[in-house]
Parts: sequence; C-alpha cells; structure tokens
Amino acid sequence: MANTDTKPGTMNPVGKSVQRLDVMEKVTGAAHYTDDIPFGNALLYGRVKRSTVAHGLIKRIDVSKAKALPGVKVVVTGEDFPNLIGLYLKDKTVFARDRVRFVGEAIAAVAATSEEIAEKAIDLIEVDIEPLPAVFDAEFGASKDAPLIHPDLANYECPNFIFPVPGTNISNHFKIRKGNTEEAFKKCAVIMEKKFRVPHVQHVPIEPHIAVAQVEPDGDVTVWAASQSPFSQRSSFAKALGVSESKIRVIAGYVGGGFGCKAGVTMENVAVALASKSGGRPVKVRLTREEEFFTNFVRQGLIINLKIGCDAQGNVLAMENNQWWDGGASTEYGVNITRAGGYNSSGPFDIPNITTNAMCVYTNHPIGGAYRGFGMSELHAGIIQVMDMLAEKIGMDKVEFLKRNAIQGGDFNVTGMKMHPVGLQECIDKVAKELNFSVKEKASSPTKRRGKGIGIVWKAPSMPPNAGSSAEVRLNEDGSVTVSVGGQEIGQGTFTVMAQIAAEALGVAYEMVKIEGPVDTRYSPYEWQTVASRLTWSMGNAVRRAAEDARKNILEMVAEAWGENPANLDIKNGYVVSMKSEESISLKNIVVYGIPRPGDQGWIGGPVLGRGTFMPSYVTNLDKDTGQGARAVVHYTTGCQGIDIEIDTETGKIEIIKAVSVFDVGKAINPDLVKAQIEGGFIQGMSSAIFEEMKLVNGVMKNPSFVDYRIATTADLPRENIAMFVETAQDDGPWGARGIGEHPMTPTIGVLANAIYDAVGVRVSNPPLSAEKIYLAMLEAGVVS
Amino acid sequence: MGFHQISVKVNGNDEVVTVSSNMTLLRMLRESLALTGTKNGCAAGECGACTVMLNGEPVNSCMVLAVEVDGQEITTIEGLAKDGQLDIVQKTIIEKGGVQCGFCTPGMLISARALLNRNPHPTEEQVVEALVGNLCRCTGYSRIIESVQAAAERS
Amino acid sequence: MTSAHPGLPEFDYVKPAGLKEASQFLAQHAPEARPFSGGTDTFVRMRDGFFNPKYLVDVKGLEGTRVLKIDEKEGLTIGAAIPMNRVVAFAEASRYPLLVEAAKSVASYQLRSRATIIGNICNASPAGDTIGACLAYQGVLNIHGVDGPKTLPLNGFFTGPGKNLLKPGDIVLSITLPVPPKGHAGRYIKLGRNRLSDLSIVGISAMGVKDSSTKSGYKFHLAIASVAPVPFIPAKAEEILANNALNTETIILAAQAAMDAVTPIDDVRGSAQYRKFMVRNLVNRAVTEIMQKLSA
Repeated sequence: MANTDTKPGTMNPVGKSVQRLDVMEKVTGAAHYTDDIPFGNALLYGRVKRSTVAHGLIKRIDVSKAKALPGVKVVVTGEDFPNLIGLYLKDKTVFARDRVRFVGEAIAAVAATSEEIAEKAIDLIEVDIEPLPAVFDAEFGASKDAPLIHPDLANYECPNFIFPVPGTNISNHFKIRKGNTEEAFKKCAVIMEKKFRVPHVQHVPIEPHIAVAQVEPDGDVTVWAASQSPFSQRSSFAKALGVSESKIRVIAGYVGGGFGCKAGVTMENVAVALASKSGGRPVKVRLTREEEFFTNFVRQGLIINLKIGCDAQGNVLAMENNQWWDGGASTEYGVNITRAGGYNSSGPFDIPNITTNAMCVYTNHPIGGAYRGFGMSELHAGIIQVMDMLAEKIGMDKVEFLKRNAIQGGDFNVTGMKMHPVGLQECIDKVAKELNFSVKEKASSPTKRRGKGIGIVWKAPSMPPNAGSSAEVRLNEDGSVTVSVGGQEIGQGTFTVMAQIAAEALGVAYEMVKIEGPVDTRYSPYEWQTVASRLTWSMGNAVRRAAEDARKNILEMVAEAWGENPANLDIKNGYVVSMKSEESISLKNIVVYGIPRPGDQGWIGGPVLGRGTFMPSYVTNLDKDTGQGARAVVHYTTGCQGIDIEIDTETGKIEIIKAVSVFDVGKAINPDLVKAQIEGGFIQGMSSAIFEEMKLVNGVMKNPSFVDYRIATTADLPRENIAMFVETAQDDGPWGARGIGEHPMTPTIGVLANAIYDAVGVRVSNPPLSAEKIYLAMLEAGVVS
Repeated sequence: MGFHQISVKVNGNDEVVTVSSNMTLLRMLRESLALTGTKNGCAAGECGACTVMLNGEPVNSCMVLAVEVDGQEITTIEGLAKDGQLDIVQKTIIEKGGVQCGFCTPGMLISARALLNRNPHPTEEQVVEALVGNLCRCTGYSRIIESVQAAAERS
Repeated sequence: MTSAHPGLPEFDYVKPAGLKEASQFLAQHAPEARPFSGGTDTFVRMRDGFFNPKYLVDVKGLEGTRVLKIDEKEGLTIGAAIPMNRVVAFAEASRYPLLVEAAKSVASYQLRSRATIIGNICNASPAGDTIGACLAYQGVLNIHGVDGPKTLPLNGFFTGPGKNLLKPGDIVLSITLPVPPKGHAGRYIKLGRNRLSDLSIVGISAMGVKDSSTKSGYKFHLAIASVAPVPFIPAKAEEILANNALNTETIILAAQAAMDAVTPIDDVRGSAQYRKFMVRNLVNRAVTEIMQKLSA
C-alpha cells in the first residue's frame, strides 16, 4: 500500500484510467481462484452420474456397487434432496428424482478419496430410464401437441411478474399490447417480416465451474465457489437443504470468467449435497471442460418472428414480435430472460404500436441461464436485420433511418416508461463517422467483396425490482481505507472502480483504498448478484454512500475538536482541512484513535466506519395483459456498432477490417476499463456470431470440447477494434454512471449479418455466420458458381 | 498402477517427487508442489491455461506426464519474476490493460516469454501465432498482443 | 454421450531400456500396450475413452528416435521423438517447404512442442496435416519390430480407417524423406473455422516440379486431408496437370476433377457439400500459387 507521505497518489480518481487493483496477483500466479485453495488430505472429490436420455422416467437407480467401492465415502441421489429450488421459478431439484429432462442432468453423485475412484464409482451406478417423447424445438414445445415436460408447472413457486401457463410447456408468457398494431400496419408503406433462429451457445469461461463444500461441527455449511452470486447461492443452498440462510456461508475468491454462467446456482449444489453427508470432510466438485459445455447453464436458443412496418417517410409505426425461447429442462432463470426479451422487445426504437408475445418454453435441452446480454444478443440479432431491410426497402440511408427512429429521452417506450436522456444519436453519429459508413469501399482483390453493417441496441439491468447493494468503508491507522462489498471481481474491474469511487467520495488517493476479498457472506455486506451490468451503478452508489458516511463521521469529529462547523471542512489528499481556519490534520491515527480534547480532558471520535446501501425503489410491475407500467426498469444503456468486412468469395470467410462500438455509459469512472469491456465484449460477440453453436442432435451436444466448439483466438481479430463512449449522465448513477459490461457483445450478430448482406447481396441471417453458411448462400444465390 | 520417483528442477529449485503413471505435469505442479499459478482449463491441450516451459519451450502441462519430466527443467508463472522484479512481459501486460479475469494470464505470459526468448523481435503476426493456443474470453486479445510487442521493444 | 475423464485414466508408464525390449514388450502386451511419443493425441483419446491402454510405452529414449538430420543422398530423417517445432526450426528442413508449412499449421505452438510427425502418421488422423507432405515427398518409415529393423514406404501404409501396416511390436523410429526434386514448390492450404490452430475442414497438400517427362512439362503431387479416413490422393487431377498445357483452364479442370473424386462426410466441422467445393477452390488456389512460384 502506497504511503501518502512518500508517494503522491491519484487524487480525484473518478474519470481517470488508474491501474487495476488486482494485477500484481494475477500476473504472478499468486491470485487465488477456488481450485487453488488447499484443503489437505481430508478433501474428497465429487463426480456426477448424468442422464444419457433427454426425457424419461427413472425406473431404478442402484448405487450399491458404487458404495461398495473402496475409497467411496458418499453416494447421494435425488431421494435425499426433495426440495424444489430455482432463482425465479422453483422448478428443479439438485438431482433428477422421478424424471430426467436433459442429457447431462445430474442423477446421482459420488464423493471419494480421489477423482479416479469417484469416476470409477460413477460408472458402477446403474440407472434404468424409460424414455418419453421429447421436445427439441421451442416452437413445437409451445404447441398443444408437445409432450409435457413439467406436468406440475401449476404448483411451482414464482414471483408475481412471471406468468406460467399451466398445462403447457410455457413457463412464462410475457405480453406487450401497446397501441393498435393491426391498424398501424394498414398505414405502413413497407412491412418486412422474417423469422430468425439463434442457436444455443456456451459462455466458455476459461475457468470451469468449481465448488468445495464442508459442514462445520455445528452444522453450518461453508462453500467455496467460483461465483458471481455468493448471496443468491447462500439463499439457494439454504432452500436445497431446508435450513436458514445463517447456516450457510459462501466464500468466493477470484472468478476466472463468468459471463453469467456463474450467476445463480448450478453444480455448486452437488458439492453441498455431498458435503452434507460426508461427516465434515470437504468435498470438491469441478466440472470438466466437456461438462462445462452442456451440463450447466447455456445461452438458450431463440426462435423469433419479427414483423415491422414503416411509413413512406421511414417512421416505424408497428411491430409484431413473437419469441419462443428454448428454456431447456428447467427455466428457473430463463423465465426472466424471456421477460427481458419482452420488455425490451422494441429494441432501442420509438415504435407506437407493438404486439409482443415472449414465451419461455420447456424443452429437453440443456438449461438456459444468464449470459452476457441476457437475451439482448438474440433479440437484437433479428431487430437489427429487419430494420436494415426496412431502410433498404424504402430507399433510405441506413444511418438516417436509425437516427429517425432511435429512442430519445422523453419518449414513452415499449412498456410505457418515460425514457431518461440517452446519447444514442451521438453514438450513431460517431460510428458512422469513424467507419466512413456512407462510402462504399473497394475490396482488396477481385475474389473479395467488401461491405459495412450498422445497428443499435439497448439493454436495461434485468433483475428483481428490489435488487439491493450494500457497502462498508473502514479506515485504518495509517489513513488507508478498506472497502467491503458483496459484489464480485470477475475480470470486469469492479474492485478497481469501487476503490476509485470510495477514494473520490472520501477525499483520499486511489492508492490508499483496498477492497476486501474474497467475498464472504459471513462478513461481507449483502449484494444481490454480480450480473446485469449493475455493479458500477448499484454497488457504486452503496460504496459512495458508505464513503460519504465515513467522511461525515470524520468531519464531525474534527469539527468538534476544532470548534468548527463541519460544513467548513473538507478532506483533501488524506488530510482534513478547514477552509475557514486553514488548519489541517492527517487522517492517520485519528480515524482509529480519535482526537484528544485539549488538556487531556478526554477524547473525541473513534474508529471510523461508514455504511451505505442502495436499492432502487421506483420500479413498478407491469400489467399482465399489456406489459404496460410506469417504470419497468431502472435505466437503459444504449449504443451503436458498425463493422466493415471483406468476404473471400472462394471460401466464404469473413475478415473484419474495422469494428467500431460506441456506447452511452453515463459517466466513465475508469475510461480505460470501459474501453476494455467494449473491446473484449466485441470479440466475444464476434466469436459467437461467426463460430459458435452448440450442435444439439436429439438433445445430445455433438461438440462439447474446444476441438469442436471453436471460439475466437488471437488469429481471428479485426484489424481495428475501436471502442468509444459518450456520457449522458444517469440521474441516479454515481457521477452519472451506468453499466456497460454486457452491452458490447449484443449488436454483433445483427450488424455482421447486415455487413455480409452489404458485401455479397445475400442475407445470411441465422448465426453462426460461418464461412460455410456464407459460401453456400452465395452459391444458392448465384453469387458464386 | 505404477509410481515413479522423479527429480526435476522447477523454477530453479531441485525437487524430488513421487508421481503416479497417469499424473500429468499440470497435476504435479498444482497438487504436489503447490504451484497453483498454472491453471487447469480443459485438460485436453486446447486452451493453453496450463502452459509452462519445459527446458525453455512452452508446453501444455496437461499434455505431459509428470514421469516424463524426470531430469528436466520447468519454469512456471511463479518463476517468471526474478529477484522480486517482474519480467518485462508482466510489466507490459499490466500497462496495456491485458488482464481481466486473470485465468488465462499465467499461460499467456509463459507463451509470451518463451516467444521472446526464441525470437526477441517478433512481428505482430509472429506474436499472434505464438499466442494462438492461449484462449482468452475476456480481453479480446489485442491488448495482450500489444503488450508482447511493447515488451519486445523495451528489451 | 461424451463423458471425458477429468484426468487421465489409470495406466502404467513403461520406459524400455532398448529397442529389442521395447518391441518385445509391445508384442507381448498387444493390444494393451501402446507406444507413444508426444502424447498429444494419445492422451486426448484416453480421456475420451477411445484408447484404453494398460501400458503406455514411451519411445522417446529409444535409439533412432531422436535423429533429425539431412543427408545429401538420403534426404531428411526425422525421429519419432522430434517435436514439430524442432522440424520447423531445423534450417535444412526448408528444403521441404511443403512439410514445414504443414507442420506449422498444426494446432498451437505449445502443442507442437510435443506433437510429432510420426505421431501424426501413426494415429492417422484424417485431418493429419503433415501426412500429405510426407506422401508428396515419398517418405519411408524406419521401423523396429520383433524381427528387427525394416522399412515401409508411406504410400500404401494406410489400409483403412484407423488401420495401417504396423504389426504388434512395431515401433516407427523415424521417417526419411528422400532428396526432393530440384526446384520444386509446395503449398499447404488449410481451411479451418479459425484462421489458425483449428483442425482442417479441408487441407490441401500440393507439390509441383518441372518435369520433362510429362506433356505439360510439370508434375504435381496432391493430397487432401479431411475428406476421407486417410489423406486422399486425387490421381485424376494429377494426371490432368501432367497431360495438358498448364493454364487457367487446365487448373480449373484439375480442381474440378479433385472435387468430383472426393466423397467427404458431414461432421461438426463442415458439410460434405461445402468440403467438395472447398477442395475445388483450394486445389485451384494451391496449384495456381505453385505455378506462380515455379515460373518466378
């Protein structure tokens, strides 16, 4: 920790690109991830017996041979854990009980003294399953002909903003009925309609899921996990075991990439289940890369049919938007992604008449969970393309078309919420300028075609209306500051941003602030989850309030000692200074020991502790039948992306010449970290758009490895990947900030598809936009022979 | 299953370890020698998170048996800094902002160091080729590539 | 369902002292014993449960496996223990440009620190990038078996999917690539999903040389990876290139003949239809580029 006496620190760090807090540990290999924690010889290793059948009734499970294998200490099955769990919809159990619903579902688990023994024991578990007709297509799944996957849907617990349709596979049907779509379409000069299919993809964090659980002598359970949601996990473990939250402790160190898949609870429950019967021995469960691909959360597939119309002047008048989300075997989290698909269904467009049906459908596919963007990559994949088609059809410049229809502050959006000010026009202008969008450029060779695409997106944090944050700020004898939070450092840089916020609010140098880690639900203040691009805004507000609370305590203490009004005092660079008397005193020592009264007549003050919380209080529910309400969400982050590409007509391969992404972040607390999020998000979006697809055949993933599920490497980058931002302040964000974590990957599928169309005149609309698909589409269209 | 006693030099230290036939170098480093900076990302030689140097050459330590390194020299991420001084590739990856979640970082840095050892002034394409086996899901790679070029310029 | 083992399943590591012992051990314990060198393919297939050896026999210490030499008469010999990176870095290997280009295209640098050309051949992956080059250079395998040393030409070595002429106890020690024709040019074009490091959707090995015995004055060796269980040689395309004046039209005809001759399958990397078109387009590209090199 730097010392203010010897080294000048960074004062007023908000808005400055200070160095990340966590880098020394991370570049030296010293940073501890969950798999790095030593547990000694008592550690048991867990492995999971999984279903090889997509849908079926469990007729028999025989674990006797596994139990008899030397070294096996625990075998658990669904019989042991009957409670229904789930984040939004309680529709799953830790292990399948009477029915399996996807290939890869946990049926039983073993803990043994080595991973090899556990693996052998798994093979010794005998399971008989009677196959049932299965559902592998969401649209079919929503129909009356589909076999029911959850006959008990009517009895599942869920919050009042989720609308299951009992007797069907539809676990949430979110509706928008705004204006009069039917009448509005009659007034349209042009109507475009297209159906899109977005496949399942996987998050692919480089660190696979891992959890270690141990039961303490008093029955309390401690879980170490690579987690985006220690507090939500605590709650879920408690429900799974039927105990109260205080009996559970979750410790979550650094996370080796999450992107949503380490939010909520998945395989961690298996470690807890095994540990609950291991006699106090810790149990580690670690997914193999192959298991990571299909047994845990995936990004669910989407079938979306879009019909959008505009008048002759290019004003979009109406949209009909039908979505079938392939929620998989459990939609505990997916129901809320569907809801997001619904209340964002207009995209960032001002459309007066909208009819939306967003349906979450049970299928016999892997379970859908949160993935960076929370449905917005999939939704915008279609909207961005249909808007492009409309602009072309009426012969309007694409940039002009977007600007004419882009949502603005004061508009009443798709759910009837009055929009806060947004800088979307500026984002579009910046992309168009940087990409030279209006100029058709020449390809670099006769066998190549060049093209550009553009599109706009929006996304609001998708969360319960009352997702809360809290923070504590403590000062130490040396004047340094320790900040406790419950949000997680998953690579995005949140600890760094929180330290900047605390330093700025307190009046100390950035270098004087440390963030306490790992997050430990026993000691850390509550945080709902590290998801939804919400931490800079929500946890940032809590940290700012905590720092301001500490500051207030300090100023009151010093004011009393000096006989001054606290309003005349300030904290600057670790010193309390009086603007009146020009006196100053270092924070050192006084923030712990207080200040002696003159003449040894007692003491003033004492240890300084600041507390801050934040919870949005203004989010209202939406009407079940119309999806209308006063304020559906806290705010929207908007942005624009443009891509300039070349296509090799001999292979169909895309080369990205330049990508430009501009988002309105309200206020960049750390501009360099904002740019890093935008750059990295673009590459993840590009990777999913070009390469990625879980190839599911009858519920079986055919490519669960890095050999067959390719992601972008160093060799697949655009020549230029430009990241920029604009700053239209958010009224309740710290210094105006709002989130940017997820958004950069959400436009890429649609924008790339538009660029492909511009280059070769063929619309390849469904990702992955692979070389093969492009080539065969060109072949079919006669572009090549 | 057979066990073997091996002698191996790791980050300059002589170690004697008893390993089973099926123990990979990755497991030996993490479990027997408590060098947990080397990460397990796929156990199939595809992601590069477990990259270490074997006699100066980068290898996927999940694709090497521990018993095979008897008498050899290993350098892990823990051995990259010397005398409390970060290696130049560590410094530049910090400066360029090439670290996010950090899970790929150790393998990435070993690949980068090995590249500069065999080719002190690589072209951008040579950096790309040298790091193509190190997957990163956070950064989008360009800052990492820039950091290796910056390290080359400064050394 | 794919259910990969978290680590490597149990086996016994065996490091034989000499060739005789090694061959005998492998013969006695066939098929439970497997020879291995780099292990990059063997370990992956063991995790997947595709190989289940009781013994893994490390051949890297055996006599003749560590050779990497050029001989003006015999050509280039590459031992079974020589990883691909060493071949690429071996200055004299540049006389075999097709081989170097193919070797450089395999996976990643760190994998090539272990992966070997002999391993590529013995495991006979249809996507084996270096096999086509070894065929084009008319490689000969140097083998030690229970009856002592022997040689086998690579051409004809593969007898079917996953099958070859090796007998129990046979250890491929090295491959010798004879001195290549003077002034030849080579090109390996690998089409993967990623620009680098992927397995090939198709891989085109092409070698061309001026040859006064043919009508065209040129002779071409072609081999195509990932379209058949073993690298496919499009004989008719080679004939067209030998028997007709070499111009754009001839190359198009040859490329079409290659396309017509391959019968690839659909798999997760690409469809049969796409593969066929890529064979045509990339054979065309490879031959055209070689012609440019030869006439330069």
